Amino acid sequence: MQRKTRVIQKILKKVAGFVIAMVCLSIIVFYFSRLAPGDPLQSFYGDAVESMSTQELLAAKERLGLDDPIHIQYAKWISNTFHGDFGMSLKYKIPAMEVVSPLIGNTLILGGISYLVVFFLAIFLAICCALNEDSLFDRIICKVGTAAYYIPTFWLGVVLVLVFSINLNWLPSSGAYDFGKSGDVLNRLQHLVLPLAVMVLSHLWYYAYMFRNKLLDEFRRDYILLAKTKGLAKVEIIFKHCLRNIAPTIISIMAISTTHIVSGTYIAEAVFNYPGIGALSVESAKYHDYNLLLLLVLITGALVIISSMIAQSINEVIDPRMKELEAVTWRKRTKTSS
Amino acid sequence: MINKAILQLKNLSISFDTPNGEVEAVRNVNLSLQKGEILAIVGESGCGKTVLSQSVLKLLPKTSNIKNGQIFVEGEDITHYKEKKMRNLRGSVLSMVFQDPMTTLNPTIPIGKQITESILKHKRVSREEAKERAIEMLELVGIDDPIYRFNLQPHFFSGGMRQRCVLAIALASDPKILFADEPTTSLDVTVQAKILDLLLDIRDKTGISIVFISHDLGVVARIADKVAVMYAGKVVEMGTAEEVFYDPCHPYTWGLLGALPSSTIEGENLKSIQGMPPVMLDPPPGDAFAVRNEYALKIDYAEMPPMFQITQTHFAATWLLDERAPIVKPPISLKRR
Ligand SMILES: Nc1ncnc2c1ncn2[C@@H]1O[C@H](COP(=O)(O)OP(=O)(O)O)[C@@H](O)[C@H]1O
Ligand SMILES: [Mg+2]
Repeated sequence: MQRKTRVIQKILKKVAGFVIAMVCLSIIVFYFSRLAPGDPLQSFYGDAVESMSTQELLAAKERLGLDDPIHIQYAKWISNTFHGDFGMSLKYKIPAMEVVSPLIGNTLILGGISYLVVFFLAIFLAICCALNEDSLFDRIICKVGTAAYYIPTFWLGVVLVLVFSINLNWLPSSGAYDFGKSGDVLNRLQHLVLPLAVMVLSHLWYYAYMFRNKLLDEFRRDYILLAKTKGLAKVEIIFKHCLRNIAPTIISIMAISTTHIVSGTYIAEAVFNYPGIGALSVESAKYHDYNLLLLLVLITGALVIISSMIAQSINEVIDPRMKELEAVTWRKRTKTSS
Repeated sequence: MINKAILQLKNLSISFDTPNGEVEAVRNVNLSLQKGEILAIVGESGCGKTVLSQSVLKLLPKTSNIKNGQIFVEGEDITHYKEKKMRNLRGSVLSMVFQDPMTTLNPTIPIGKQITESILKHKRVSREEAKERAIEMLELVGIDDPIYRFNLQPHFFSGGMRQRCVLAIALASDPKILFADEPTTSLDVTVQAKILDLLLDIRDKTGISIVFISHDLGVVARIADKVAVMYAGKVVEMGTAEEVFYDPCHPYTWGLLGALPSSTIEGENLKSIQGMPPVMLDPPPGDAFAVRNEYALKIDYAEMPPMFQITQTHFAATWLLDERAPIVKPPISLKRR
């Protein structure tokens, strides 16, 4: 009974935290986007702005709601968002949500798959290297990994297109699917291969190397000596002791890295002309498309906050020290009540 | 005699390759341990006690190497055993507890599981049987309510209790020899005494042989059958506890005894020994202790003293025992009770 209410309390706390974080984020982005020099009317009316009279300009501003003081603008915007209305895109002249929704799936597929592949491979490589620390295998992987990591993403993308699309003609060079084949999974996968390769190659070693070193640091801790005196082999110690103990670190890094990898999709999207929200974000900032920019920032922000909350919850389960205080107070309570 | 020794080190030397050169951490050590015996190794920190004990379990880093000598365990020469064979010995024949119980347990794994891990590694038993055995071990080392505590992580335990848990882990697979490397150094004095009594109790119950390492002669006096005094990687005096404490022959042993509280010793209080142990990168040619030794003879600086035999069991490496040396009466020994 007590346990259940505690869980509910916890969930409520997390939800409240999430909402507060999102509101803060939106305030910051709202104010800062308006500080940037440039004219949002330009993106709405194009060159027509230059031939407008002062009166026409004022009228246009009023229509777009840009004449109010900034806090009023914000109040209007946020009350609309609670009804699911994120405003019009100034550039596309349709609701911002409608601009984003057909593209977000593409980005989530590319980002999500590369995220999973990066971490799966990173942990795998880290274990292989840690098990064979300083062996030829470890040294070669370290060298190759570092080299791969420093290849500029853009250049790597272009080379891959040259080799696999133009010379060998094995894979398509751009887009998310061929015209009229948006439901064809195989076709989509073919389009994903090159962007994924770029994403994975440009992120993999950063994480693999970090995890390798974390594993090795853990392997030098005192308790490893005791584990060795039990007669355990290195493999057993790495899997049963070290991995378990650095799992919270890995999970936290994974949570933080969502932004790293999501922002990585922007470059892949640009190189391969892959229709996603990455290119859109850059564009919206460039054109002072406030509503679109805000929506995109909120989506990315939500992604990061939610993933870090999930990571925190998982970590509490894995590493009881993170709940230690709670556990102690709880034990005290049961003691006094009994 | 030799065949009965459960552990025997013959002329063992261990050194480390470091960027600055070769560190000679252990030099020509001869020791033997009988079944059920408690052998204490004492000496200031840095004199090679840990390296000596870890070399037997082959826990030292790759930069270490056995320069010469042999290690016999139950009569078998394990000097060149490979990792795989060593793994079979660790836990089941050789075991070890360490100085700091706060860091030698894995913080995320419940105590019980850390004990059963060792049992399951060496014994063909089911998980339930392993758990039963682990709970017995917790009882043996004096943990109350072991069934409840079995599932607790180390952070629920105090330092003394953690050291008991480490002992339970070390003893779980019935080892023949336990190395206890300063097991009480980081504990309160009252807890120290209890752990020492526990070790004695366990030896009496299980017949295990113990190599007890400490820098504190006071602690050693309570528990040891035999004492080896180490300095700069060498054993400089060795004998039964009786002999080393009541008839010490090496000036270094006098110095160690002199550092004890005056209520426990007879003779002048020498206070702590002046100076520091030498760096073992380039040990001096003669007696390494000579520079700190007020009784040093000229020859101490030039030539390494051999082990002089005093009784059947008592040996010391000091030129003072040579027949040509001036007679120096030990200024100090433990008070007889
Ligand atoms: N990994 C190592 N590399 C180089 N030298 C070491 C290493 N471990 C220990 N030593 C050296 O070996 C000597 C003995 O150390 P140790 O056995 O830890 O002393 P004690 O346990 O008696 O305090 C010291 O001089 C120390 O510097
Ligand atoms: Mg030591």
